[in-house]
Amino acid sequence: MSNSKQAINPEKGYVALLGWSLNAVEAADTFDRRYVVVAPEWAEDYCKEHDIPYVAWNFERLNDRSMEIAETLKDMGVDVSIPLFEETVEWAGAINSVLMDKPRLFGQAMLLRDKALMKRRAQLGGIRVGIFEEAHDRDDVIRFLKRVNQTLLKLEGDPDDPIHLKAFDKAGCLGHRVIRTPDEVDTIPDEEFPVLMESHLDGWEFAVEAWIHNGKIAFLNISEYVTLGYSVFVPATPDLEKYREQIREQIELLIKTFDIEFGFVHPEYFVTSDGTMYFGEVAYRPPGFKVFELLERSYGFNAYQGLILAFDPKTTDEEIKAFFPKEVVDAKNYAGCFGVYPRRRVVSRLEIPTETEDHSYFESHELTPPLEETVTKRTAFGTHWGLVYFQGDDAYTMRDLLKQQEELDFYV
Amino acid sequence: MGHVPAMVDPVSDERLKLRCKRLDAALDELTRASRVAHLSKVPRVLDAARQVLGEPGGPLALRRRIVSLTEAGIFRGSDWDYPENLVPTLARQALTSRDPATVVIEVLSLLRLLSVVEDDYPGANVGVEQSREHLVRVLALNLSILYGIQGEAVREQGEKLAAVSRGSLQFILEQLGFDQVVDALIAEIWRILEQRPIQVAPVREMITQIARCLQDPEQDLGASGRGAERLVSSLYGPTRACGEDPGLATYAERLRAMDAVGLQGEVMGLARSMHDTGLVSPYHAVAISHLLESDDRAILLPDILGLSSTGRDCLLCYQSLVQTLIREAIYPDTCQSIYGLALLLERGILYQPPVAPGLWRQLKVRLAPQARERLRLTFGEALPPETHLVAGVLSVLGQPLGIGQGNNPTCQSARALSMWAYNDPDYLLQMVIWAARDDEIVMHFEGEGISSRGETELVRPLLGFDLDPVSLVVVPHLDRIYSQMMARCVGRAEDPHCWVNPEFHGWWTGRGFQINVDVATGKLANLEDFLRHFFASYHPYYNGVQPLIHPQPAGIAVTDSAARFIGWHAITILRVALDQHDDMRVYFYNPNNDGGQDWGDGTVVSTGGCGERYGESSLSFAEFASRLYIFHFDPLEPGEPEAVDGPMIDDCAARVRRTWAVDRLPAPLSEPSERSVG
Repeated sequence: MSNSKQAINPEKGYVALLGWSLNAVEAADTFDRRYVVVAPEWAEDYCKEHDIPYVAWNFERLNDRSMEIAETLKDMGVDVSIPLFEETVEWAGAINSVLMDKPRLFGQAMLLRDKALMKRRAQLGGIRVGIFEEAHDRDDVIRFLKRVNQTLLKLEGDPDDPIHLKAFDKAGCLGHRVIRTPDEVDTIPDEEFPVLMESHLDGWEFAVEAWIHNGKIAFLNISEYVTLGYSVFVPATPDLEKYREQIREQIELLIKTFDIEFGFVHPEYFVTSDGTMYFGEVAYRPPGFKVFELLERSYGFNAYQGLILAFDPKTTDEEIKAFFPKEVVDAKNYAGCFGVYPRRRVVSRLEIPTETEDHSYFESHELTPPLEETVTKRTAFGTHWGLVYFQGDDAYTMRDLLKQQEELDFYV
Repeated sequence: MGHVPAMVDPVSDERLKLRCKRLDAALDELTRASRVAHLSKVPRVLDAARQVLGEPGGPLALRRRIVSLTEAGIFRGSDWDYPENLVPTLARQALTSRDPATVVIEVLSLLRLLSVVEDDYPGANVGVEQSREHLVRVLALNLSILYGIQGEAVREQGEKLAAVSRGSLQFILEQLGFDQVVDALIAEIWRILEQRPIQVAPVREMITQIARCLQDPEQDLGASGRGAERLVSSLYGPTRACGEDPGLATYAERLRAMDAVGLQGEVMGLARSMHDTGLVSPYHAVAISHLLESDDRAILLPDILGLSSTGRDCLLCYQSLVQTLIREAIYPDTCQSIYGLALLLERGILYQPPVAPGLWRQLKVRLAPQARERLRLTFGEALPPETHLVAGVLSVLGQPLGIGQGNNPTCQSARALSMWAYNDPDYLLQMVIWAARDDEIVMHFEGEGISSRGETELVRPLLGFDLDPVSLVVVPHLDRIYSQMMARCVGRAEDPHCWVNPEFHGWWTGRGFQINVDVATGKLANLEDFLRHFFASYHPYYNGVQPLIHPQPAGIAVTDSAARFIGWHAITILRVALDQHDDMRVYFYNPNNDGGQDWGDGTVVSTGGCGERYGESSLSFAEFASRLYIFHFDPLEPGEPEAVDGPMIDDCAARVRRTWAVDRLPAPLSEPSERSVG
């Protein structure tokens, strides 16, 4: 174990990480930029114990005191702040608008934080999106469900196409529900409103991670979902990679539409059978499903350090060029992960299935023993209990293997 | 290392290689991790190690990597990082855990000690001998894992994980050699038997395991295993007529065919074996039943119980009662109570007027469904629950200090039962009747009746049923009453034990009360004065050479072998007396099943060899005082506090401050309560 920090390059920027992520901290700690962690008080003990530069801050809603943290970081000489979680995106916008004296960064962040606003802006920019609307109560949902299906020329009695409900400002699958019939509308609790409603797109959903420097794409990864909410791997299969050029054009359009100069975007798209791309949503922070960790396993570069490079205003083009590998061809192998949900109602212990353990692609897992025996019934998509990592040479074996995990019990 | 793995089939060899590759990758990541993320890389290594350990040849593969793992910091930040402080008795809990990481880290810790033994690995901070001793004791205490005779535990843990524990222990056993382990096991059994527990099931299990090994022709024990025969025979063949373990029916036939001299020999043999080990053989129950039907019973009963003149006299006075007790309660399944009966007679407590009629009532009592159910769940249905309860009463009255709390956090209730059996046997009989017949006990607190059926928020279900029949029936009631008494003292300025202890345990508990912890802050308070009063009340040199009259409840700050505070615990002070070296010792009762514990800072609780009677624990007076935090005394007999030597007090106070109170000097901590360890 190395205890010494990497030598700091004084020519380079000083970055603030907003939110606590151990992997991000470790990346920063072993990189050549000065850094500081801005996180809630519960992180303080760990930071002190491990000699990690730290400023305490509770990321609740933006309020009158928001300027305080921006001023603090400015006084410290910080050049830029980097959001690590959805909840810190607007804070990064607000802070960076002060640090860099660019007020529009705050407006941009608000746009990237609200799914309804985001879709409108995308539509204005000429990006293709599905039908969407905001709902304030259950009646709105029923109306939307009916209208979407009328648009699809369904007859009375035909099975309806589902619609999707998402919270405005939550990451990924949190609060994501699928509604198929008006009956199901009653299951939505009051506190989930207002929500964004979207028509269902019968396409292939995938995600993109793009690092942006000086308004240009520095590295573009396509993440292939095997089953949404369960599993993802990188790089994608050749079947999906064949759309790379089209996808690159879409990302360039996104960068232009949202006026993004630097940093990192994580959008989701659908591609339909005729090759049309539909924009789903975009986040201005690392993906929740650990794609950064997968990229390191596959390509060998540290995606968090890439994030620091992409945000630091003092990064040069040469640095960017030297840091990022060439997409797909430089990948050593395929890396994927699977999110485990307990399949039984009552579980007593963690036991990795023999099928999984015996497969040469299996690498490791982050599952912990169950704390309670009764498994809470899943509403919406919920959160998985931990990830299982795989690595191997063949994309299709990876895809099938990840699919296969859905049929196995990790908690018995 | 000299260990050559047996021929392995190619498939499992392939599996092992794959898993070793994973382990090496994880280990590499841990080695490279910065200080920031070191801890987060440990789980992956432990899981990879688990996979390796589950394969044939896996423990050897791990043994080869243990130095790299240790040096990469696999133990950092955990208790296992201090091998010099690890306690062999705690290994079992880890090895049977449902948490794979806990199992694996324990196994790795054992393999690290093995590398000390085999290669003199210096990185573990422990010596070769200490390591060997630790490993041997762990193996001895976990033979049931080694031989896969756990049943329920395996079900809980899962076969895959159980195989990890089993395979690893087997590997270590092969490396060390079986003969070494047997000797340690025998020593462990004798150490426990010396304390004469009522619950002997775990000891029986260990002896049974030894018996199996002795019979296994493949085990060459060589010179070791001395003393094993004596233990095995005490259960399976204590005398000539049952030496080859012929079965109970055959033995009964042999007894019927025996002449008077032969029978006399059998009877003496059984008694000798029983008093030698404290264990009773089921053959003993067969013989005692046989005697009851024979014409010589009046002559032979005292002999088969091994009674001295005191017990003999008592038996003669109460022949009919004793014979009825034997008839009702003594069967091969309850044979252990013969020992209780013998000691009951020796104690002479039948001469206390209420005891004999109390026992007659016990013989007739019909149990409430709740008591019946609890006994049935634990002891099965072969005998009526009433039989088990009478047998249990005999044990408790004969061996008051043999009561243990099992795996339950109920030290106060176990202590109260023991104190009553010791000091107030007819009161104990009354308690048993109330609990067993009425399913309700009512005690009084400051004039107010408190029912064991009363509402209390602090009801803790019994965790384990590893209790004697009396505890099983009475403890749940006592625990509820105790909780309610404690609840009524909430908000008072002093520690609740000040009022609860005398009301709960009995009038003889001193109404004077001393505590050296400030209730509000948890900080050490009043220490020197506390110690001075303790010496003056209890130490014969300062209290006017007055031996302790009644047993007194007291509170102990229990520490581990590194002298770190673990929790508060209830004990009974029984006697203060000089040992054979003229050192003043405190003899006390610890309800915690095994009184012999290393409390760190040189304080090791003795259970034999320093003048202890069976079941007593002891420490030198100063050592005891250094762990004491609560005691009661008679305010009318305060002794001479001012006469106590200053240096002696200073020595005790220093021990307190450098052990359990080390964190209690400046900053406030949690409110003390005896309940936290119990």
